[in-house]
Amino acid sequence: MSPLAQSLVAELRERPRHFGELVEAHMEAPWRDFLRAWGEVRAADVLERDDAGRYRIAASPS
Amino acid sequence: MGTGFREFLKQLEDAGELLRLPKAVDPRHLSALMAQSPQATFFQQIAGYPDWRAVGAVLSTRRRLALAMGCPEHAIAPRFEEGIRRPIEARLVERAPCQEVVWTGEDADLTRLPLPMMHVKDGGPYISGTLVVSRDPEYGRNVGSYRMMYRTPRETGIDLVSSSDMRVYYQRALDQGRPLPIAVAVGVHPFELLAASYKAPIAVDEFAIAGGLHGTPVELVRCRTVDLEVPAQAELVLEGELLPVGWTADEGPFGEFSHITGEVKWNPIFRVRAITHRRDPIFYVLQMPWENDWLAAPVIEAAGLQALRVASVEPVAIRAPVGSCCYWTLIASIRKRPGEGMNALLALLSVAEVKLAIVTDDDIDIGNPDELDWAMTFRVQADRDVLIVPGGRGKHIDPSVRAGLLGKGGLPTTAKLGIDATIPEGVPRSHYERLRYFAKDAVRLEDYR
Repeated sequence: MSPLAQSLVAELRERPRHFGELVEAHMEAPWRDFLRAWGEVRAADVLERDDAGRYRIAASPS
Repeated sequence: MGTGFREFLKQLEDAGELLRLPKAVDPRHLSALMAQSPQATFFQQIAGYPDWRAVGAVLSTRRRLALAMGCPEHAIAPRFEEGIRRPIEARLVERAPCQEVVWTGEDADLTRLPLPMMHVKDGGPYISGTLVVSRDPEYGRNVGSYRMMYRTPRETGIDLVSSSDMRVYYQRALDQGRPLPIAVAVGVHPFELLAASYKAPIAVDEFAIAGGLHGTPVELVRCRTVDLEVPAQAELVLEGELLPVGWTADEGPFGEFSHITGEVKWNPIFRVRAITHRRDPIFYVLQMPWENDWLAAPVIEAAGLQALRVASVEPVAIRAPVGSCCYWTLIASIRKRPGEGMNALLALLSVAEVKLAIVTDDDIDIGNPDELDWAMTFRVQADRDVLIVPGGRGKHIDPSVRAGLLGKGGLPTTAKLGIDATIPEGVPRSHYERLRYFAKDAVRLEDYR
C-alpha cells in the first residue's frame, strides 16, 4: 500500500469517519493521488460501514 | 435548437445563464462553487486535470429547463407530452466526437477524470449526470440514469435499488450468472436525460423518446468494447459491465433529490473496460438536488395533465414546485364545472407518490405564490374543501413515512392531502372580482417622471 493509503487505514482504525472527513484531512494531496490511495484501501477489502454511513476498518479482514 | 450538450451550453450563455470561471478549480470544490453561483457554472480549468473542463447546474432552475426545452416556463409539461407522443428512431453514425480519444486496458482509469466531491456525507465522489445504456435479449435497449460512486480506478458502485427496467435486465443476467454490459454517457443534451427519467414501457426505446423531444433523430455510435450504442455527441463514455455479484457492495450515502442525505445501500458493482471522450472534453456535474428535481418536473407534470384528462377535467396549467422536489406536490388550474375541483384532486393524488395537490380556477396564475396564497385564503373552507386520503403509496426517502419502523423489505405508505382552492359551488364568481384602479389606462407613469 502507498503511504497515503496506509495513512487512511490508520485514521479509520482510530475511529469511523465519513469519506468527506478523510478528504478534508488530506487536502494537500493531489485529488488523483487521494483517489488512487482510496482505491488501494477499497481493494484491500478491509472496509466496513456503520449506520451513519461512516467507514471503519473491519476487525479482521473479510 | 441544437441537439448536443455544447449547443445547449451556448443557449445558456446567450441567455445570460452561464457563468465562466477562468481560474483553475480543484474537483473537490466544484459543487461548493456551483452552489454559490446564481447561474450554471463553467469551469475553464480543473487543477490536476489539464485536458478537462467542467460544467454543472445547467438545469438548476425552471428557466434553464425551459431554455433546454425551447418553450416558455408554463409550457414545459405540454412540450414534453408533445415530444413523447411522436417518438423518432435514433440514427446510427460511423464516427463520433465522443470517441476522439479512447482509453482501454490500464489506461481506462477513472482517476483520470475530474470526479467531483459533492456533499459532506457522501460515501465517495460521484458521477451524477449519467445516461446508462443496457440491452436485454428479449426486451431490447434501455436507457436510464443512475448515480455512480467511485470505488477504485476500475470500479464504481451504481444505485440499482429502486425498481427500473435496468434492474430487471440486471436481475435476468444475474440469474444466468453473467455480467450485464452497460455504457455510461456523460455530458448529453437534457432531452436525453429527460427521456431517461421518463418511465417508458419496457419495450420503448428512450432514444426514440429523446428524438421526439428533439424533433430529429438522436445520433448514436457503437461502443468500442460492448455491444451497445451511445449518443455520438456525448462528452464522455464509460464502457464496461455490471458484475454478477448482486446487491452486495456498499454504496452511498449520497445527497438525494429530496435535499436530504440518504443511507448506505447495497448495490452492484460496475467495472470499467474502456473510457472514450472528446478531444477537449467537458465533464458534466449534475448538481444535486436541483438538477435532479427539475428533470422530474416535466415527467410528473405531464402525468398530472394526463390524469386530469382521464378524469374529464380540463387543465389550464400545472406545476410541480421545486420545494416538493418537483415530485411530491402538484398544483393545477382548471376550467371548472361543478364538482370538478374534487375530481381534479382525486386525479392528481393518484399520480405516483404525489402527497399534496392543490387545484385552482383558471384565473389564478399558479406560478405566482402570492396568487396561490390568495386563492387558498379566500376560496377554501377547511371543513369542506380539504381532502385527506390515508394509506397511499409512499417513498422511503420521505422521513415522515417513518420507514425505519417497517420491517426489512417493508414498503411505506403515506397520507395524501388535497386542497380545492377553486371558487366554491354556490358562491358567485363576481364575489372574487379583483380591485381595479381608477383611470389605469388613462395615465402613464413615464409621463410624470
